[in-house]
Amino acid sequence: MNTAVHVNTNVYATTHVATNLLGGIRSIIKGSGLNPDRLRDQWGTLEDGTATWLASRHLKTVTLEVYEPGKRPTDLVGRFDFTIDYGYYPGGDGELWLDPDTVAYTIRKNGSFPARCQYRIVIDNAPGYAEIPGWTATAYRSTAGFTRHTVGTALGGGSLGAGLSYYTENSR
Amino acid sequence: MNAVAREVAAIPVRTSVQTWEAIAGLLASAGSPERGRLDAVTNIAAILITAEYTRQAPIVVMPASGPRVRIRTVHGMDAVDAIAGEIRLAANPCADPGWSMSLPCGIDDIEEMRDALRGHPGIEVRDVTDGITAGQTTPATGTAAWSVDYDELERP
Repeated sequence: MNTAVHVNTNVYATTHVATNLLGGIRSIIKGSGLNPDRLRDQWGTLEDGTATWLASRHLKTVTLEVYEPGKRPTDLVGRFDFTIDYGYYPGGDGELWLDPDTVAYTIRKNGSFPARCQYRIVIDNAPGYAEIPGWTATAYRSTAGFTRHTVGTALGGGSLGAGLSYYTENSR
Repeated sequence: MNAVAREVAAIPVRTSVQTWEAIAGLLASAGSPERGRLDAVTNIAAILITAEYTRQAPIVVMPASGPRVRIRTVHGMDAVDAIAGEIRLAANPCADPGWSMSLPCGIDDIEEMRDALRGHPGIEVRDVTDGITAGQTTPATGTAAWSVDYDELERP
């Protein structure tokens, strides 16, 4: 299913991208065999942060980091990045659209995770972003030993595009 | 059967959480105990709104008295137009205890959402393709005027 709506207003584009980007992360979580409870419980905080930092143009990447507690030498088992391109549509009047097939393809290529795996959502912001309750500073887990695969742009609107990529462990 | 229908603008005019807040604002006064019950399911409802289940089928509220209320969300370009046409309800159907609510949900999400709603009596999810079965509600008393959307009543 593709949905496309023509709108010139970037406010609408940021809301469209923020909410549907989280919808894409939820699809990856469910499609990968992970428990959706944590995402659901944090939905409001996640949407607030994503929409606010997209609107202020600080948001660079929204990441789903999947880890397996106790795994050595690193507990990272997978990672999915939605990387924002603020100039994806140079004219700034791109339609609002999303392509669930891009997410579905990523899920299919990545495969599923063991049920014991956990996850968190990490946002990489440019300096100067506003503090939002519920969010704390952190660092990404190392991706050494992983390969990044770029899938394509999953959704967009206004001047925004959100490209999706995922990481797989080289030993897999 | 008496029913009142409303449409609420959703994404991209509002975020999913803001959309639920707008719906809750139609149903119960801010700060009231019954509004607290609606606020407590915000994340669940916001996910159902994001998935557009509430566009495909209405949220149905059965008040303790008065006509049932059917609320659909409007998405995309239509939401831009819909926000200007939003109409408040003449009375808050969730003002008094005894109301119940049915939220539409896709089959892939319904088990998860049923589990999530276990601690929220009176609020349940139904298959988005199912209809609603409930007894006729008692007409509201007083002078409040209810508008009935007969086209909405004809929808499956």
